[in-house]
Amino acid sequence: MPWVEKYRPKSLSEMALPTAKLKGHKIDLAQTLRDFVIEFFKEREKINVQNKEIRIHNKNSTKSKQKNEIKMLPEKAAILLEGPPGVGKTSIVYALANDLKMDVIETNASDIRTKQALEDKLNETIKSRGIMDFILNTRKKIILIDEIDGIYGVSDKGAVPTIVRLIETTQFPIIMCANEYKQSLQPIYNLINKIEVNPLSHEEIIKIIKRILKKENITNLNEKIIELIIQKNHGDLRSIINDIQGICQGLDNNFDVDLIEQLHRDSTEDIFSLIRDLFQKVTSLREARELTNKSDVDYNFLYKWVNENLPSFYKSNEELAKAYEYLSIADEIYGRIRKTQFWSLLSYFYDLFAGGVSLVKKYKKPRGGFYPIKFPRFTATTILRLSSNEASLVNKIKEKYELSEVEIVQEFIPFLRILYRSSRKMAKEIIDFFELEANEKNLLK
Amino acid sequence: MAKTIPIWRIKYSPKTFEDICGRKEIKARLRNIIEQRNFPHLLFVGPEGIGKTTIARLFAEEFLGEYSDANLKLVYADIPLTSEEMSLARSQAHVSTSRLGSLAGKTITMPAFIQVKVKSFVQLKALGNVPFKILIVKNFETLGANQQGFRRLMETYGTNCRMILISKKTSGIIDPILSRCQLFLISPPKLEDFQDEILKISKNEGLIIKRDVIRLLYKISRGSIAKAIDLLQLCSIETNEITEDILYDNLIVMQNDLIRSLLMMCLKGLFPKARELSRKIQKNYKFSPQQFFTLLMKEIEKLPLSKHAKILLMEAIGDADLRSIDGKDIDIQVSALLARICYLSELFR
Repeated sequence: MPWVEKYRPKSLSEMALPTAKLKGHKIDLAQTLRDFVIEFFKEREKINVQNKEIRIHNKNSTKSKQKNEIKMLPEKAAILLEGPPGVGKTSIVYALANDLKMDVIETNASDIRTKQALEDKLNETIKSRGIMDFILNTRKKIILIDEIDGIYGVSDKGAVPTIVRLIETTQFPIIMCANEYKQSLQPIYNLINKIEVNPLSHEEIIKIIKRILKKENITNLNEKIIELIIQKNHGDLRSIINDIQGICQGLDNNFDVDLIEQLHRDSTEDIFSLIRDLFQKVTSLREARELTNKSDVDYNFLYKWVNENLPSFYKSNEELAKAYEYLSIADEIYGRIRKTQFWSLLSYFYDLFAGGVSLVKKYKKPRGGFYPIKFPRFTATTILRLSSNEASLVNKIKEKYELSEVEIVQEFIPFLRILYRSSRKMAKEIIDFFELEANEKNLLK
Repeated sequence: MAKTIPIWRIKYSPKTFEDICGRKEIKARLRNIIEQRNFPHLLFVGPEGIGKTTIARLFAEEFLGEYSDANLKLVYADIPLTSEEMSLARSQAHVSTSRLGSLAGKTITMPAFIQVKVKSFVQLKALGNVPFKILIVKNFETLGANQQGFRRLMETYGTNCRMILISKKTSGIIDPILSRCQLFLISPPKLEDFQDEILKISKNEGLIIKRDVIRLLYKISRGSIAKAIDLLQLCSIETNEITEDILYDNLIVMQNDLIRSLLMMCLKGLFPKARELSRKIQKNYKFSPQQFFTLLMKEIEKLPLSKHAKILLMEAIGDADLRSIDGKDIDIQVSALLARICYLSELFR
């Protein structure tokens, strides 16, 4: 059983609580959350009673005298915990629920892939009141939405209205957890309070680790190794415990420092040196794979880096053609993966753009010397992108003459340019007729 | 006219239905329709640049009279959508509630083009004293599989909105659409009508041009009056007397020879320069991948290479085109193509 689960605190009194801030002031996290939950249920009770009376009133009165049902203030309905991973946000919610004898309904980013699924999952919880509660004889619940910054639909804002609606109508308090600020969630930040949770202190972490080790009867783990692990994991208690468990279990008593180095999660290989190594040092598929495994860079940008820098390293057309053959197949595979969601094909993608490309030089001497690495350029041609000057010129032309944007850009403007440059008189007439401004004129010069 | 219009193509473009040059039979048919105040969905087919869209637009404006502003819309099916339009279309998608089958849980979107540009127009009722609205769709055949969506639209909203579809050939259009439309084969104007029009313009602008020269102009522009007028205006910059040589000289100026330069660079094996040029072309002209590859194909034909060489080049372009359908990064596919051509050129020498 994973130690992270085994030693998850069952009560707030067991926990070493992280420090937290609300609106810039330090707060007692446990107290604040406890108060929030208890306040919620009091308020909810009050509002439900009032709404019941309103419903009765509405039934018995005319259309014009209808009253609206009262809604709870969003900041009393939901609260957000924001902090780095592994600091205790989820644990504190479970511990709190345990203390108050409530249940936790948890949903997180991996559960929810569509707006509909989000709604389905939470529908019964937000709406259930009255008879269902009585029948099921349930305890009160706390809704935990974990990893809200990773929920599908956050980036294209599909999830935000759903969550807002949830906050407005919920029968149970909502606690949300996030790792970082997300701009698309601003509408939610505007409605509720956000608590910033800080990582635990070094001493606290050591205390916790030692306690676990004692309970597991492990006595021969070197202090130095514990320090190393804590350092590499930047306050992420979850991954520290996992690492320690990994070391202690399934290995003999040789705790190698090199082994610890291998556990180092976030070795960020500098992208520049990665590209250089790929072209200059890699001589086998295995090396290419290791190189890309170590990298932190998003793969869908990594292969663009390869594209941009290929000609710097391969000078012969034969090498270029072969390398590009692999790279273009890799691009096709990547596109198919995105369309079909068959992510198992990703390994082929890697092997082609890293291995295939770098191994084209297999039988030639590796190039020495320094080559400047260029940043990849991003061009999207499936969406029509005009700069604002181009767009305004196109619009001005469209006002006077009916053509599609593409026809204007590809045929009409080149022709117009020739006319414009032919004589001063013509240039002036064109400016007058289309009523062009300076920035639009420049496009024709 | 208070202001002179500097561009001849705009100055001499037909302003009313009557102004359209030539095409007497088609105009007669359409005039008949205007008198009857009714028509089914129409399909205009004809080669590029001869005036299909202009005819359709002027016909519709004539038909709708004073109400044409509110009841007429012209959309282009081959224009890629802007990113705002795409996110608007995506946000209106819904998730299928079926539990079984291939649609289960999938996000269903109407083709974005229809969703964003067409649907809202056809759904609203016609305003004013007109029997229906008119929607003109240009380059309809480029919709490909999305034509199916139109079929339903034509049925459901047919009474409220008639469509005039414009296409370069009938082969790109699916049968259900063809069967719902009345076909009009639009031809370019006859040589005599063309000559009359050009003579009229030349007289107005003080040019001297013989009928023989106009015949050459007709051939070069393939019956497209707008293109002919453009060429004429270019020629007029230098001289008033238009001869065949002057036409040819200015034709070269007007043609886009960047693609040809690109290919020449590749055939010399200069990959980095070729890639720079292709990116510049893309930036200025914003060709879609398919357009770009089609242009390359056309240029290959004109190159002074052996048949065998041309076939190898066409194969390379075909591969790149095929891969770019699924591929995510067009720059990589184009670079791959250029690299391959650079390599092939070594074999040619």
